[in-house]
Amino acid sequence: MSKVSVTGLTKEFGDLTVLKDVSFEVNKGEFLCIVGPTGCGKTTFLNLLAKLIPATKGTIYIDNEEADPKKHNISFVFQEPSSLPWRTVKDNIAYGMQVKKIPPAEMEARLEKVIDLVGLSDCINLYPNEISASMEQRVAIARAFATNPDLLLMDEPYGQLDLKLRFYLEDELIRIWTESKNTVIFITHNIEESVYLADRILVLSNKPTTVKQEVLVDLPRPRNILDPEFSRIRNQVTDLIKWW
Amino acid sequence: MGKKSTNTLVLRIIPYVSILSCLIIWQLIVVLNIVPNTLLASPLQVIKLFIYKLNHTQPDGGLILVHAFVSLKEALIGYVLALLIGIPLGLAMGWFKPIDGLIRPLFEILRPIPPVAWIPLTIFWFGIGLSGKVFIIFLAGLVPVVINSYTGVRMTNPVYIRMARTYGATKWRIFIDVCVPSALPMVFGGLQVALSVSWMTLVAAELIAADSGLGFFITMGQRLLMPDMIILGILMIGLTGVVIGIIVDKVEKRLVAGMWR
Repeated sequence: MSKVSVTGLTKEFGDLTVLKDVSFEVNKGEFLCIVGPTGCGKTTFLNLLAKLIPATKGTIYIDNEEADPKKHNISFVFQEPSSLPWRTVKDNIAYGMQVKKIPPAEMEARLEKVIDLVGLSDCINLYPNEISASMEQRVAIARAFATNPDLLLMDEPYGQLDLKLRFYLEDELIRIWTESKNTVIFITHNIEESVYLADRILVLSNKPTTVKQEVLVDLPRPRNILDPEFSRIRNQVTDLIKWW
Repeated sequence: MGKKSTNTLVLRIIPYVSILSCLIIWQLIVVLNIVPNTLLASPLQVIKLFIYKLNHTQPDGGLILVHAFVSLKEALIGYVLALLIGIPLGLAMGWFKPIDGLIRPLFEILRPIPPVAWIPLTIFWFGIGLSGKVFIIFLAGLVPVVINSYTGVRMTNPVYIRMARTYGATKWRIFIDVCVPSALPMVFGGLQVALSVSWMTLVAAELIAADSGLGFFITMGQRLLMPDMIILGILMIGLTGVVIGIIVDKVEKRLVAGMWR
């Protein structure tokens, strides 16, 4: 059953065509990764999906209805830190639910669960400038999952973290996702990360960006990056986005 | 350890030494008649006058603390009015395009006019009483308050706004939840600037048109050829300004600490 369906999505900035006729489907509960060469308009792509900017042409449907942040439950985890500095960790995680007007009792229950899942129980009363960059990104992820989104968009959330932390947070992300079964679209330029996380990978082309190919990753989790099948898929994706 | 504590002791004493030596030099200049007493009063004369003015209304018609209180009252009413109107106006201009479009052209025309330029007109309109001064101070305080509130909202990190939008927050909700708290430090910066501008403008207004207040006190000193009275007025203005500055700073620290860390 398809949860999100994108048809003929096109974005032009003046004469520059950034996205050209992109069509794809995302299944309910699927973890979709989108990879592509640097500067191919990945972020524009996500901004379109989140309805932050209007599309020139094409449609985005969620559950057979035109996507709308006020109606659908969309969450976005940004590349940059996005915790509000005047709110504590706990109040930041609650923000999405407050906007969605979740009843207080349920909010408390969900907060407790998600804070526990991301391992932030010890610092719920701290402010963003009192915690590390990786913890701040976990706050953003907890805030996103707490709203139990129809569609969770992630824009290179671990791009600015070091390798070890990234591995750790990727495992954590998979754990939360496995438990919540939300639909995720995860953008990255890191091929290994995409093979490690995704059910399916969409490889984008250079500008004007289209979907070059789909790659299914049918490997059991937790995945082993030394598995020969893992390497095969990684090489396949690498070959697809080579432009040199 | 011993050396360090001596150092801090010296550092603590230094400011008092500089003030004290200034006072001594000043006293000597007058006592040795380097500058004639008709042009400059000595610190001791000023202190004597201050003590005298605490319970004598002569020669200007009011006690010194009454003058200070009148000035303070005028400044605070004008200042508070400027905050009550300026902060919401500036914040709204920063976020809601139609309000910005309506108000900004007018504001840009009024902005470069020095508030003291309004004094003659306000004398026509309000006379030399309280309301005229309040109006001038309101105008003077309004400009920095509006500009800082506006800029504070404009400088909101766009990621925070996008974040709130993706959760489906309305424009109003984003304004209240994200833009206003994010603008607060800038708003408070504006309050400090507005305060010093208001205080300066008030004194200018009182020098020109008043029947009480510290500016009036100075003018009387000039008319009566009493340099000690002029100097006392100047010092009182400085001291009162410092006291209000400290109060605003304290209020700011408490309020911002509640919202920002």
